[in-house]
Amino acid sequence: MKFSKWLIALAGVATLAGAVVVQAQTAPDALVKSVSTEVTAVLKADPAILGNQAKLKSLIETKLLPNFSFARMTQLAMGRNWAKASPEQQAALTKEFQTLLVRTYSGALANFRNNTIDFRPLRMQAADTDVIVKTVVNQANGQGIPIDYSMEKGADGSWKAYDIVVAGVSLVTNYREEFNNVIRDQGVDALVKQLQAKNK
Amino acid sequence: MKSVLKSTLFLALASSALVLSGCASFKAAAPGDPLEPINRGIFSFNNTFDHYLFKPIAKGYDAAVPNLVKAGVSNVFQNASDAQSMVSDAFQLKGQKFGDDFGRVILNTTFGLGGIFDLATPMGIERGNEDMGQTLGYWGLGAGPYLMVPFLGPSTVRDSVGRYADGKIDPISNLSSVPVRNSLMGARVVDARVGLFPAEALMNQAALDRYTFMRSAYLQRRQSLVLDGKRPKDE
Repeated sequence: MKFSKWLIALAGVATLAGAVVVQAQTAPDALVKSVSTEVTAVLKADPAILGNQAKLKSLIETKLLPNFSFARMTQLAMGRNWAKASPEQQAALTKEFQTLLVRTYSGALANFRNNTIDFRPLRMQAADTDVIVKTVVNQANGQGIPIDYSMEKGADGSWKAYDIVVAGVSLVTNYREEFNNVIRDQGVDALVKQLQAKNK
Repeated sequence: MKSVLKSTLFLALASSALVLSGCASFKAAAPGDPLEPINRGIFSFNNTFDHYLFKPIAKGYDAAVPNLVKAGVSNVFQNASDAQSMVSDAFQLKGQKFGDDFGRVILNTTFGLGGIFDLATPMGIERGNEDMGQTLGYWGLGAGPYLMVPFLGPSTVRDSVGRYADGKIDPISNLSSVPVRNSLMGARVVDARVGLFPAEALMNQAALDRYTFMRSAYLQRRQSLVLDGKRPKDE
């Protein structure tokens, strides 16, 4: 008897704790800010990291990857072609697309080393599950590059980015056209193969 | 008279039919790029030209000239383009941008010694970054078909008209001394090419098909500039 009461109490505490954790999930703008600040700080402290593929990869994998929803990104880039792909093809596409983006991103990081980032205030309602976090990367030449992150709230309450819009150019939109062309002319498997070849 | 009209009409119909059937034999053209087959040809010509002549020159310049000098050179050309931007600010009745560009040009031309030093940026005076193509877009003119311009790269019909107008008000191409003008215009091209190195590396890494990638990025970028960074309504 006592044990079961204790069990119920425990369950109650756990639920409460869970609720608190969900409440405490970082707001999307705070998340972008902390991740960007952390990454730029690491790059500043250790610029040699840019020449070290292994270190760079681990920085990206630990700091950035968990905050992106590559499944959603791939799905959006595929557009109406997503439904035409088998689950195996979808998985392969997501994997290859992620690899391609990570490589591109590590290449791009070098250009961002000496820049400062402004974070624009985010207007959002408590119930929002899809927001755009706006930042501006200030370059030495006075040209600010606006970088917007489209972010969605997952079932677990965490926010993940599903598109990056650099100076008005959406990553997802850019790839949608490329993917669509390949699929239209050669099919889904050809796209998987092209991505694999690109990632080799 | 009548027969002339008839044969003209016939010719017009026949040629339009030809054009139509020609179109049908291509793979469905991307929206905004009806000239894709021709554009791709020019794109490949531009790449070859760039690879063998243009890029090596820019690379040589980039390697040989000290960073400080390169920055000064870039600033001079940027100052000229700020002056051009001022005109477009005015045509779009954008007072804030006009004031900023005006302040930048005055400050950088005088205390910045003819634009060699960019004093306005550290003072927080932002660049208006307008041009005639954007001005036409601001007043409602659509971009028109995408164009790959020989030597110059991606554009649209609207932006080409804009570029022509910008050329008319360009401080450098209006210089009276021909040798000075020509060497400055040459240097500007090289400076611009060096500025494209990071974007080029990114594109080579990211793109499956560089033509499509560049087109999509160019069209999105220009639309974003016309809308001053606001998102299009259909998004």
